[in-house]
Amino acid sequence: MSKNIMILDDSPTIRAMMNKTLKDAGYDVIEAVDGRDGLDKLSGSNARMIVTDLNMPEMNGNEFIRSVRVIPEYEFIPILVLTTESDDSIKAVSKAAGATGWITKPFNPEKLLSVVRKLVD
Amino acid sequence: MTEETTVESWQYLSFNLDQEIYALNIIQVKEVLDFTEITKVPKMPDFMRGVINLRGKVVPVVDLRLKFGMPETEKTVDTCIIIIEITLDGESTSLGALADSVREVLTLQPDLIEPPPKIGMRLKTEFIKGMGKKDDEFIIILDVDSVFSDEELVSVQDAEGEMDIVNSEDQPEHIEAV
Amino acid sequence: MQDQEYKDMFKIEALELLSDLEAKLLEMKEGYDDIEQINSTFRILHTIKGTGSMFGFNDISDFAHNLETAFDFVRNKKVNITNDLINLTLTASDHMKTMLDAGDENKADNDFISEEILTALNELVPLIEDSPEKHDTKTAGILKSVSEDASSSDMTYRIRFRPSVDIFTTGTNPLLLLKELRGFGECDIIAHIDRIPLLNEYDHKACYTDWDIILTTKKSLDEVRDIFIFVEDSSEVDIDIIDDGTILDKEPKRDKLGEILLDRGDITAENLVPILQKQDEKQKKIGELLVEQDVVSKSKISSALSEQKHIQKVRKKKSGSVLASSVRVPAEKLDKLVNLVGEMVTVQERLSQLAVYEDIPELTSIAENIENLTDGLRDNTMSIRMVQFGITFTGFKRLVHDLSKDLEKNIVLITDGVETELDKTVIEKLNEPLVHILRNSIDHGIESKETRESAGKSSQGTILLSAEHSGAYVLISVSDDGAGLDPDVIYKKAIEKEIIAPGTEMTPKEILQLIFSPGFSTAKKVTDVSGRGVGMDVVKKSVEALRGSVEIDSDKGKGTTVTLKLPLTLAIIEGFLVEMEGDKFILPLSSVEECVELSQENVDRAQGWDFLNVRGELVPYIRLRKSFDIQSDPPEMEHVVITGVDGQRIGVVVDRVIGSHQTVIKPLGRAMKHSEDVSGATILGDGTVALILNLDKLVKAA
Repeated sequence: MSKNIMILDDSPTIRAMMNKTLKDAGYDVIEAVDGRDGLDKLSGSNARMIVTDLNMPEMNGNEFIRSVRVIPEYEFIPILVLTTESDDSIKAVSKAAGATGWITKPFNPEKLLSVVRKLVD
Repeated sequence: MTEETTVESWQYLSFNLDQEIYALNIIQVKEVLDFTEITKVPKMPDFMRGVINLRGKVVPVVDLRLKFGMPETEKTVDTCIIIIEITLDGESTSLGALADSVREVLTLQPDLIEPPPKIGMRLKTEFIKGMGKKDDEFIIILDVDSVFSDEELVSVQDAEGEMDIVNSEDQPEHIEAV
Repeated sequence: MQDQEYKDMFKIEALELLSDLEAKLLEMKEGYDDIEQINSTFRILHTIKGTGSMFGFNDISDFAHNLETAFDFVRNKKVNITNDLINLTLTASDHMKTMLDAGDENKADNDFISEEILTALNELVPLIEDSPEKHDTKTAGILKSVSEDASSSDMTYRIRFRPSVDIFTTGTNPLLLLKELRGFGECDIIAHIDRIPLLNEYDHKACYTDWDIILTTKKSLDEVRDIFIFVEDSSEVDIDIIDDGTILDKEPKRDKLGEILLDRGDITAENLVPILQKQDEKQKKIGELLVEQDVVSKSKISSALSEQKHIQKVRKKKSGSVLASSVRVPAEKLDKLVNLVGEMVTVQERLSQLAVYEDIPELTSIAENIENLTDGLRDNTMSIRMVQFGITFTGFKRLVHDLSKDLEKNIVLITDGVETELDKTVIEKLNEPLVHILRNSIDHGIESKETRESAGKSSQGTILLSAEHSGAYVLISVSDDGAGLDPDVIYKKAIEKEIIAPGTEMTPKEILQLIFSPGFSTAKKVTDVSGRGVGMDVVKKSVEALRGSVEIDSDKGKGTTVTLKLPLTLAIIEGFLVEMEGDKFILPLSSVEECVELSQENVDRAQGWDFLNVRGELVPYIRLRKSFDIQSDPPEMEHVVITGVDGQRIGVVVDRVIGSHQTVIKPLGRAMKHSEDVSGATILGDGTVALILNLDKLVKAA
């Protein structure tokens, strides 16, 4: 099984941090800067999981999730949302869009990994 | 009814009490002992003669004569104690019954046993399971469980057969289990 | 703390973002409404806030948060763009640059400036809260540091997880959650597949399975709950603590299958009762019966069974360490041992008597040796039978908890004397009477919350269950701070029920004891809780069957205390042998203080009063001859055994004193259970039977 995880964030610093964290843990990482970029890179990526920011230019996180869920290949892919708001209504919107879980910023590498491991084998 | 009789067996142990012949179903008889010293328990009804040591167990002894309103059993060489097993409060327990003498083990076909007459009996009819007959002698077959029911054990019957009965409503129900 | 590399990277990113922000702001003017640009302005501030917080730039993050909120209002058209807002945001942007450069330097100055800018912002956009958002601590709860507190005890949880049908479409794999639970500890998982439809209705995207999980772990409830954090809104997740690490130790009886099903809410008590009755008749397993009756599904039964097994497993494991240094023996073997020791004691007594009679030195020495060995054997065997009273406490706690919940009362059970040891049989036989007393306290004793409050009491009722040693006895008491009993009411009722004759003179305490009389039941209606019309007389009978006694004390309005006095052991006691009219009787040696002679002269001198002068102290005495209605003449010299009963010295007059005797207690048999003055019998060395006197009763009757 592939170990590919796609990460989407418009902040290069966050992408860098997540990329390193996941790579160190043995995953392969596909980076995307926003939803549009993510959708482009998703086809054929063989991704097992997606971690996405919500507020991004060129298609935000929720739109991206909705688009992913209609691709048969990724119907059941775990999608983790990065959020700064721990507000339940925001989580609910993402959830309705098809997100699997969330992780609230700020988070550290250990937190990221433990949630990722919760969602993929 | 038929089922019960097959379980009960048709064999009876007969014994004498004040010139009358009584019998107990052999199933309920455990053994017959020679008369032994009885330790009296204070403040029990007279028919509760006391307790004996039955191979390390303490077993109460009842004088059936007194229970049935006859004169007290006189000790003779024939006097014996019939150890019977009865059910009290749902548990089986041993009890000794004094008899003037033990006669024999006999077989009584169920069709030869008649229901007790309603009147003219010395003891309460519920004590009697039926009347058997052998060699022209009547044999009174006792219903031990009712003779030694919980309320009977504390009650004393006088000569007329009237009961000095203790309020039977006092029987405790069992406490509900948790 | 944070990686310096990321910090430097963020600085660069943030400076870029801020230049971008500046550019966008400079394009704006009063009433500007390009939603795209406003959105991206918002997003810049959002990113600075979010990313900043990740790499330790909390000052900037908090500061940006306020600006983000302002632009959130703008994009939601709650606030319009004004020149003042543009200028202030530019100032803010510059300030953030300064903060980025300064790092931790000039923190006080920068904080002051932040404060000023935010105050100004607040005036422009009054809706925003001026204090930075406190980050919700619930940052995906699983992320909390997982404490491996070794001292915390094992918890056993029952988790019922019924995923939403569409759980797969949100990317959750329920099996991973189960795997995660497995990682927490000893875990039994049962899948219920009752919901799986026929093939033609089957949707491959749907999840039709639910799971029952029994988990024993050191993790806290929150940690377990956090596993389900992403699915808890859409799926049903019920987590119950079925054991907090104490119940399993102390409540060996708990968790019959029926109880588990009840506890789980799979069946109701109404379902269970008829089934239990049937069970007796049919000798079937309760599970089979329940399925047969269509009360619950098979998979619910197997789930409950696995819970039962799990608990047994955990319990076994727990006691494993204890097992290493102890051996479990079936109770029957122990009873057999006690019986054998009893016989042994009897035979040894006989041998000792013989040795005295024969007076052969060698035999005497052997007899003494055997006596010593038998004593040791007896003491040891008896100590094996002793069990701490505390093992029952947990069960009672549960009882109080459950019942008070049912009755909507707030009751706490306090226990004392956990370590008090009692004979195993006594403890077992005490269970029912104590349950009955506790039920009475809960049901009738403790008042409703409202009544308590209006009486000026704490709304929480307290029941104290305590055990303590007192000589050869153990005192067990149940006290509640409830309504108490009213002697007047009891007195009237006792007359009504013809338990006492009208006009009988009694002290309030004597009146209270009337509730133990047969036929006296204070509760008019039969409630579920305190049994079906069973009175305290049953309690009394059960306790007396254990050669104990029971007493009640109550203070109207303040509470009630029921005290049970029980012998330490039921099997063998040190007895004191006396003789009356050729019959032998045993008094408990622990109650015997001394013996004195009673001559006719003494009796005459007392002028008809049944008092004896023992070294200046007047001791009342009772004559067994009188108590037992013995008509014959007493010997010229009688003996008085002075006993201590309930702190009072009382003499018992007997014909002859024989001496101490190892007494193996034999029950008198059910046929003799009505005998009050005698609590049991024993077999003497010569094979005759001696009766054990119930001193308490004798003294009270006199």
